[in-house]
Amino acid sequence: MTEQRPQQAEVAGMAGVIERLAGELALAEEPSCFTVALEGEDDAAPDA
Amino acid sequence: MHDESLTALAAAIRARALSPLEAVERCLERIRKHEGRIHAFITLDEEGALRRARVLESEAAKGQWRGPLHGVPVGFKDLCHVDGLSTSCGTRIPAYFTSSRECTAAQRLVDAGAVSLGKLNMTELALGAFGDNAHHGDADNPWQSGHATGGSSSGSGAGVAAGFFAGAVGSDTGGSIRLPAACCGVVGLKPTYGRVSRAGAMVLSWSMDHLGPLAWTARDVALMLSAMAGRDPADATASRRGVPDYLAGIDGGIRGFRVGLPENYFFERLDPEVAAGVRGAARQLGALGAEVRDVRIPDAQHMTDVSMIIARSESSALHSAMLREQPEALQPTVRARLEVGLAISAHDYLQALRLRSRLTRAFIRDVFDEVDVLLTPVTPEPPPALAPLKVATPEAFNARSSRFSSLTRPFNGYGLPALSVPCGFTTAGLPLAFQVVGRPFDEARLLQLAHAYQEAAGWHRQRPPL
Repeated sequence: MTEQRPQQAEVAGMAGVIERLAGELALAEEPSCFTVALEGEDDAAPDA
Repeated sequence: MHDESLTALAAAIRARALSPLEAVERCLERIRKHEGRIHAFITLDEEGALRRARVLESEAAKGQWRGPLHGVPVGFKDLCHVDGLSTSCGTRIPAYFTSSRECTAAQRLVDAGAVSLGKLNMTELALGAFGDNAHHGDADNPWQSGHATGGSSSGSGAGVAAGFFAGAVGSDTGGSIRLPAACCGVVGLKPTYGRVSRAGAMVLSWSMDHLGPLAWTARDVALMLSAMAGRDPADATASRRGVPDYLAGIDGGIRGFRVGLPENYFFERLDPEVAAGVRGAARQLGALGAEVRDVRIPDAQHMTDVSMIIARSESSALHSAMLREQPEALQPTVRARLEVGLAISAHDYLQALRLRSRLTRAFIRDVFDEVDVLLTPVTPEPPPALAPLKVATPEAFNARSSRFSSLTRPFNGYGLPALSVPCGFTTAGLPLAFQVVGRPFDEARLLQLAHAYQEAAGWHRQRPPL
């Protein structure tokens, strides 16, 4: 059990980050918006 | 020949001043001499390389050229599947990763004429920033023995610097191309997410993984990227954008380029020699005509945290069988990292993915309205001595590793192109480097800036004292 403690603390720290940052996420915010952010919203990616 | 850049080597072969077989034999001679110390390889494919070089030699004699890399010796990180060679991914299991298809990025280099010398050393499962490997030997820094090569693409960085091959393929989930490039004094590019196909390569984190090239110069990297990049039906995350000619504007200079030095995050708690090296490079860019200024950017710590949650969750899910069935086969540091991922909730993982989108949009909007590129350090300290690190507890080792990759990891989260460029040496003779980061798919501008800097600064002409 002692061996688990640093890992538990790390996971708890990560959960704290999410709690702090994710509060104001809009309902429309979903993971695929990431690709749109890179490629551009006007679908600027022409076929190769 | 080990002194020559990939570009110079390719040109010498094309001019018939050097044959593909001579190029490969010279590399093998160098490997025989120094591999005992450097540990760049997991699988050296001497026979395969010589066989291929003979074929290319005979084609060259008839004036038949496969492409711009005809006869150029290269190496592939041992997470790229190459038919006929096993893929350990740095584990002690020789065929840990198998695939029904060749690694697209590696195959495209071969199609352009490159000769593979084999599969390169890496930290186990691509987890770890320093280049240690208990199963295959720690890669050793060619500039100073006993110092970290950077990881996880340790053999890629060390092998280029040692003159074992002219270019290498690495992978980068939190800095694993840029860290070894910086520690070994070579150029390394993490392209935009989706620019280079990941098909046929072991996945560590499908959201954060990138494949990219390492070589002596920006021009070399441009040449390799031109061959590697592009659409791939085998990788749904590969972009459909056309691939520009990365060499076309590389000599265009950097007059008017708007270069931002972040006031926050990237220069905090930095080793003074690293800070001085990057600021010196910024001055040099200014002298070349760039408009260099300080900028305040969105807090990159948020993206570092979010990226860590995503990478830990995905890597633990992917490699859970190994963790469950053969935990004793994993290095304690690697096991500790994977175990953390098992404890992250689905809720936190999914919120992190949603946050990534929002943070990326805000970063692109806020930063690139003001500047064309950001200039930052690659690492917070020069390549550390490896032995003292290895006596630490796994948790302490991993904490140091996380700190070492804290300046590269945010750009895996943002998905932005980021290039590591050598910018001098510490007083102890260890390489220093800066990182230049650009808009999505603006690799050409990064390479143009790096090329102008290298031509003026000349650090790329120095070689390790092997």
